Formats: sequence, C-alpha cells, structure tokens
Amino acid sequence: MPGETIINPDVDNGLSVLIVEDEFLVAMDLETILEQGGHAVMSSVASVEAALKALEDGRPDVAVLDLNLRGQLVFPVAERLRSLNIPFVVASAYNDLDIPGGEVVADVENVGKPINERRLFDALRRAVPAA
Amino acid sequence: MDLDELYRLLRGAHVRAQGVVDTIRDPLLVLSSDFTVISANPAFYRTFETDRESTVDVKFHDLGNRQWDIPELRLLLEKVIPQSASVFDYEVRGTFPRVGYRTMLVSAQRLKHPDNGQQIILISITDATERRQREDEKDILIGELDHRIKNLLSITQALARQTGVEGRSAKEYRDTFLGRFEALARSLNIGSSKDASGLPELASAVMEPYLGGPSQVKIADGPEIALTPNQATALGLIMHELATNAIKYGAVSRPEGQVEICWEPKGDDHASMLQLRWRERGGPETSPPSTTGFGMRLIRFSAERELGGQAELAYLPEGLTATVDFPR
Repeated sequence: MPGETIINPDVDNGLSVLIVEDEFLVAMDLETILEQGGHAVMSSVASVEAALKALEDGRPDVAVLDLNLRGQLVFPVAERLRSLNIPFVVASAYNDLDIPGGEVVADVENVGKPINERRLFDALRRAVPAA
Repeated sequence: MDLDELYRLLRGAHVRAQGVVDTIRDPLLVLSSDFTVISANPAFYRTFETDRESTVDVKFHDLGNRQWDIPELRLLLEKVIPQSASVFDYEVRGTFPRVGYRTMLVSAQRLKHPDNGQQIILISITDATERRQREDEKDILIGELDHRIKNLLSITQALARQTGVEGRSAKEYRDTFLGRFEALARSLNIGSSKDASGLPELASAVMEPYLGGPSQVKIADGPEIALTPNQATALGLIMHELATNAIKYGAVSRPEGQVEICWEPKGDDHASMLQLRWRERGGPETSPPSTTGFGMRLIRFSAERELGGQAELAYLPEGLTATVDFPR
C-alpha cells in the first residue's frame, strides 16, 4: 500500500540487495518495496555491464534480476552471481525461461511481473539460506 | 505394388482415386516392407527437385542427404506394418538437397493388397515450412506483446504504489495518480507514433491539459527532435511532475506566473546532447523542498537512469528552473 510502512516480519536482519532492472519506474518501485520491507539496496543498475561492475565493487546478500535488459539477456550476471555463490531471484514478465543460455536461471524462482511484494519477499527468503 | 496398383486398389474400393492421387499436391511415397521406395508421385519429385532414378529402389532412410534417417522416425515406421500403427504429422526439420531448410510433416499408414496380402507403407509428406514460420513469428509476436502488457502493468503498478497517500484525501490521491497515469499514456502515445514521435509533439501532448485559454504555459518554437519511446516516456513524466509542482507551489499557482519550456541541441558538435529547460517566472518565491517526494525522485531517476543524463533544479527568486541534459 502506498505510503504505508511495510515491515516484513519474517526478515529479522535486512538483506543487502542488488537490483538489475532496466525499466526505471519498476526499479524505483523495487527499491521502495525492498527498503520498506527492511532491506537495503546495495546497488540498482540497468545493464549487464553495470551489474558486473557493481559486483566488483560490493557483495550483496541476494540479487533481483530482470531477464531482458533492453534486448540484452541478464545471463552473464547470473553466471557471475553463481560463481560468487550469491543467491538471486528473477523478476521477469517472461513466463518461459526455456531459452538458449537460460540454463543458468533454470532452477531459479521467477516472481513474475507485475511484482507482488509478498511473493518477492517469500522468494528472497527461500533464496537466501538461513537469513 | 506400385502407385498404379494403388490406384487400382483404391478404385476397387469404389473411390475415384486416380484423379485424387494425381492432383494431391503433397508428396507421396510407397514403400515396401523393408522401406525401399517402390514408387513416388509427381509432387514428390517436384518438391524435392529430384527424379525417379535417385528415388525408386532407394531405401527411404537413404533418400536425399539422409534427412529422413532419424532414429525416432525409424522406430515409428518399424511399427507401421507389424502393429498397423500409423504415423501422423511427424515433424522433420532439416536442410534438404537443392530445396534448402524445410519443415516437413511425415504421415505413414499401412496398406494391405486385397489379393496377395502384400503389405506396403504409404508415406505422405507435407511441406509445413511456411506455416511453421508463420506460426513461429506469430508466437514471437504474441510473446512480445504479452511481455509489453505486463511491463506496462508493472509501470502502472509502480505509479500507483509510489504515489503517496500521506496528507492526501482519497480524491487527491486518485487525481494525482490519474495525472501521472495520463502523462504516461500521452508519452507512450507519442513514443509509438510513426510520424510525431519528437519533442514539440511530446511537450504539447503532455502539457495539453494546461494549454487551453490564456495559458500560463508556453512551449517555445524549438527544433524538431526525434525521441526514442523510452526517452519520450521519461521526458513526458518529468514535464508532468514539473507541471503539477508548478500548479501547487510554483508559478502557475498565481495568475501572473509563467512557465516556458524550451530545448536545444548541445554538446561539442551541437548534436550529441540535448538540453530541455523548464523556466518559471512570476511565481511565489521558491525554496528546495524539505522532503524528497516521489515527483522529485522521479525527475532525477528518469533523467539519470533512463536518459543517461542529469536533471538540475535551481530554486531562483523568480521561480524554479529545471534543466535536463542528456545524450541523444
């Protein structure tokens, strides 16, 4: 709900989150949702390049990835996150992740779009072991 | 048994078959029980640009570049005679000699000669290349459309959630949200327009609600600047936020106040960058807001993230001046 403070009772300690989302309004929305849910946005970026750079500069607890970043697929970021052992969830309007190179996100939860707060928080909790 | 015999056989079944088989546009093959081609119809030779010599007495799996030599298809065909199974529209995609990449649908059926009990396989092949291509293109298009709709729903959801409720009545909330929603719709309309997707059109479209009568908003005669749909959305929302701010706190809150919107190419070659200026005059004295509302966040965020540029807001004594610089 707009303006209401949303406290996610399941998260005692807020997570540091990397947002990779090309649609700026959705990125803003994600930031607000996460912050109101008691999490911290480590970085919010719109491209593969910027995401890889952000991962050089810092280590988030978890990442939220859009799949298609202005025609560029997010897979290189997913691969880097895997190699760094950083869990992530996908937030994409695409239902079908069965695309070439998509193996790296095959077993990852897609919370879908439009974003539902509860579903996002649940997915983050499942993705992060014993947060 | 060859095709002639097949014709007789079908005639025997009181079907006027010969004309039918001859005019069948799809390729037909008659195979013996060991999958050797006994006969082929004209459509087969035509479709695969081949002849009788390289077809008859050749094993089905050895035809062409062995495109039909698919283990799964072999297994299916092996069941046709002993189990009277049939194959229906088995899809074979591959590059065929002379005719290139094709999608073929293979159907097979057992036929039994009524006199000598000899069993043969009738194979019909349908070229579904164009149909499949159309279907694939349609699927891609539908997928793309589905994605866009959901994206748009996400954006609308963001506007609804980000529009604050604190200190607002339900009506005020609704009006604020609908104002943003309308600005988004107008910007998208300009962004997707084939012939009017540029800057004067965007400014006129977004500011249209404020332009009627003795208007306090003036859009300068700037040059025609083409915008991408994403740039149009970002700029449209920025102008809308500035307008609502001007009505509430700025120049447009007073009858004598004025707003001027102008733009010009900038950068080294006067082409690589664009600067949009929003200049208020004659309004109440302005000062930076104590809290950063969604409107101001939206202006900065869209200028930086979406346009790859920056927005500067100067609270001058005569009114607010906003400058948005971004690469074209």
